Parts: sequence; C-alpha cells; structure tokens
Amino acid sequence: MKPAAGTLTALVGLLTMRLTVDGSFQRYVRTSMRPWLLIAGVALLALGIVAIAIGIRTPAEPADDDDHGIGVGWLLLVPVVALLLVAPPTLGSFGVDRSTAIRVTAGRSSLPPLAPSDQPIPMTLQEYTERSFDHAGASMRNAVISLTGFVANGATATSFRLARYQISCCAADAAAAVVKVIGFSGSAPPRDQWLTVTGRVSSVEGEDPVLRATTVRDISAPEDPYE
Amino acid sequence: MSTSTVTRRRADAGIAIIVAVVVVATLARPLIHDLVARPAVANFATVFVAIVLQAVPFLALGITVSAAIATFVPPGLLPRVLPKRPELAVPVAAVVGAALPGCECGSVPIARRLVDRGAPPAAALSFLLSAPAINPVVLVATSVAFPGRPEMVLARFVASLLAASVVGWVWARLGRDSLLVSRRNAHAHTGSKPSVFLQTAQHDFLTAGGFLIIGAATAALLQTVVPRRVLDSVAGNGILAVVALAALAVIMAICSEADAFIAASLKQFSPTAQLAFMVVGPMVDVKLIALQAGTFSRAFAVRFAPLTLVVATASAALVGSRLL
Repeated sequence: MKPAAGTLTALVGLLTMRLTVDGSFQRYVRTSMRPWLLIAGVALLALGIVAIAIGIRTPAEPADDDDHGIGVGWLLLVPVVALLLVAPPTLGSFGVDRSTAIRVTAGRSSLPPLAPSDQPIPMTLQEYTERSFDHAGASMRNAVISLTGFVANGATATSFRLARYQISCCAADAAAAVVKVIGFSGSAPPRDQWLTVTGRVSSVEGEDPVLRATTVRDISAPEDPYE
Repeated sequence: MSTSTVTRRRADAGIAIIVAVVVVATLARPLIHDLVARPAVANFATVFVAIVLQAVPFLALGITVSAAIATFVPPGLLPRVLPKRPELAVPVAAVVGAALPGCECGSVPIARRLVDRGAPPAAALSFLLSAPAINPVVLVATSVAFPGRPEMVLARFVASLLAASVVGWVWARLGRDSLLVSRRNAHAHTGSKPSVFLQTAQHDFLTAGGFLIIGAATAALLQTVVPRRVLDSVAGNGILAVVALAALAVIMAICSEADAFIAASLKQFSPTAQLAFMVVGPMVDVKLIALQAGTFSRAFAVRFAPLTLVVATASAALVGSRLL
C-alpha cells in the first residue's frame, strides 16, 4: 500500500469529520446524517492512518504500480481542496426557479385550525403553502404567522418572494417553497438576504401563496438552512 | 538502483503531489473565492459537495461489505450456493439485493467483489441493480413520500425487481462477461486476513471515490445548466412524460433513499412517470455510469447503461399501467 493512497483516504475522513463537527455539513445534507457522517469520517481516517503506517513500514512491491495505482482516486483531492479553501454556500436564489417547485393541490384535505396564540406562530414555508391552498387559508385565519427564508428573484415595488428549500437527503434534491410577501414598508430587500417575516395570510395570487407582512427583520443565515 | 528504491521514490512523489496541490490551491484562494461568489458557480459547488458528502457514509458501508466479502467468502462458495442455471440465479440475486440497506454508490464495489468471488456475472448485475432500488429503507421512504398510496410502494418493488431480473437474463444470454473484468481488477489481494481487508477497502475507496467525483460533478453541472422548466413542458404528454422523468433521474443522480420525495413533488407528472423516475434513478444515472465504467470497464458501461435504461423505463411503464 502506498502512503499517498492512505493520505488521500485520511484527508477525506478528516474533512468529513470537520464538516460534521463544525455543523457546516448542514448546508449540504440533512441534519439527521450527522452520526453516519461521523462514523464514516472516523472509519476513513483510521483506514488511511493504518494504510500510511503499513506503507511506510513495508517497501512497496513493483507490482503495486500496475495493480494499486491511485489513478482516478486523485480526483478525491478536488472536494478536499475545495472545502479546505472555500466552503460552498447554502443553496441561494439562483436555483429557486430551476429546482422542483413545491406544488400543493387545492382543497385536498382540511387542516386543523391553528391554536390561538399571543406570539407569532413560526411555520415552515411548506406548511404555509399547504395551509394557504387548503380552503383559502381558513386554518390560519386571524393568526399571525412567522416565516423564515431568503429573498428570491422577482421582487417588485410592492412585493418580494420569500423562499426556502426542502431537502430530503442532500442539496441535490432540493425543492423550493416560495411565498409572496406584500404590505411591507420601504423598498424590497436585496436578493439572497435572509429574513424573518411576520404577517397574516392573504389570498393566493397565481402559483404562490401570499403573506401580508407586519414586520420584516433581517437575520443571518440559520445553521440548518433547509426545512 | 533497485526496483524497491524506485517505487519508494514514486510513493514519496505521491505525497509531494498532495502537498503541492494543497499549497497551490491555498495561494489561489482569493481567485477561488471570487469564483464561488458567482451564483451559478456557487450552485454547482454546493450541489457537487452535497452529492459527494451524502455518498460518503454509503460508500464507507459499501467498501466495508466489499472488503468483508473479499476477506471472508472463500472463492468457491458463491458458485456452490447460487443456483447453477442463470435463469434461477438472476432472480435469486435480485431478491437478495433487498436485504442490503444502502445507496447505489455502495453496491457497485460489492457487485464487483461478488464477480471476483465466482458469482455468475449476470446474477451479480441483478444484485447491483436491485440492492439500491428495493431495500427496506428505500421502500419505507417511498411509503412516507406517498402517504396513503401503498400501491406506489408495491409498484416500485415489482417494477424494480422485474427490471433487475430482465437485465440479468438479457446479460446472461447476450452479454460478454469478459467486459466485467478489466486488467486492473484482475489482481487479487493476498496476505493475512486483516491485510486483505485493508488493501481491498483502501483500493475500493479510491476507485469508487474517484469515479463518484466525476459523476457528482457531471450531475451538479447538469442540474445547474438544464432548467427544470424544459422538463415541465412535457409533463402533460403520457409517454413523453415517462421518458422525461426517466431522463431526469439519469441527470439528477440523487440518492435512492431520497428520490421518492422528489418523485412525489413532481406532481404535474402522472403516477407512472413518477414510478419511472424511481425505478430508473437507482439503476442508471450519470454518477453510476461513471462508477461502473471505472469499476468494470468503459466497454461494459457503454452496453450496460442503455440496456438498463430501456428495460427499467419499459418495466415502470408496464407495471405502472397495471397497478397505478
């Protein structure tokens, strides 16, 4: 075994562990993947270290070059280097209109009304979409809702689009839920800005559900950016 | 100069390359930073890293099982245990695939190891196709993604099993098994059991990992440049919709444990088209084609991927028209 092969394997393991421990793995995969990533990272690091140790102790046989060349394995350096230097960001507004749209069939079911509350009720954009299309938002009538997402493209003077991705496994399968926000004061916030918006349900316009805002607050991107 | 000194030098050169790449990349950091600031590049990079990271645990499981087979399964065992006739061995292997919870990336090295250990290639290929498609985790995910529609789970199970078996039978009749054993893979690891295990795991990780990178980059590129609206425009057309979602499954290369959720969200498509997405995805996608080409041979992948795509799409269309 070659020390270089072991080094590559250990690097991949180490990087997987780093992403898992510092929480940035949540930009790319589901939060629930944490234990599996950690186990895989530790296993690969151990495999790499053992391979390095064996490779240093035993001189490589000539046959190794034919049969055990690292070959295509060198490509593993690409994500390693990329992640060491720049952590690719969470999915932003670029993909909103390219990804699968969350579509909900109107009047499919009757959702139970929300329990009354003095505080704004936090809700995922997906749930807001479902409730909006269910009997014209009857289950949310009079409730103040709080939504968190980022600004997608397509803002006008009187409205902007708030979006958030749902992922079921990793960012490759992201599907965007979009809510149109109206009734805010001032100009529309810049694209990709993360916001928490509170407001009340308004009637659906076109494909997107609508929220009439009471407050719009800038926030930094949440640790788990997906729903 | 002795040969061992030469190879030692080359091994050291490997480490030097790794160090050099890391150093150069660090110096070029501002350049890379500006690049990732572009939304399209950022989207590509995020999807690429996501596919790789998401595959790492499954890859680790796959190479562990593969190394265990190489270490603990004696060469003569599989041919003795499996039915002699390919007509029977193929469906048996397809059903056995259901027992391995995992993603498609892990099953490629396992299938190769099965061939190494003397399993009939057609049976190993059936296993390769069915394992990621019909294992319990995937079926549970499908039932969660399609609440109140158990027929979708049944249709997925039946169509995937049918496709895996038909491809195996076709390969047994018409395929060339020599394509499965490339020069590089012919070498068997030798030595003590722990040593065989480690060497196999190390080798399989680098091979499968490298091709995973190619596949993930291709999928991320296609996801970034091909607008989904193009596919949406054919959603209404019966047969075209099935073909479109089969094509989407090939392009997206998402994990078989997640594809049911995506299929369910493609509401503008017919149930049969959604089924085609779930049957084709675990069997053929750009990431898998790269993995198979690297693990077996390019000539193999060129024949196997189109065969599988046609059979899987047809199987989904047939089962979908009966059950959905």
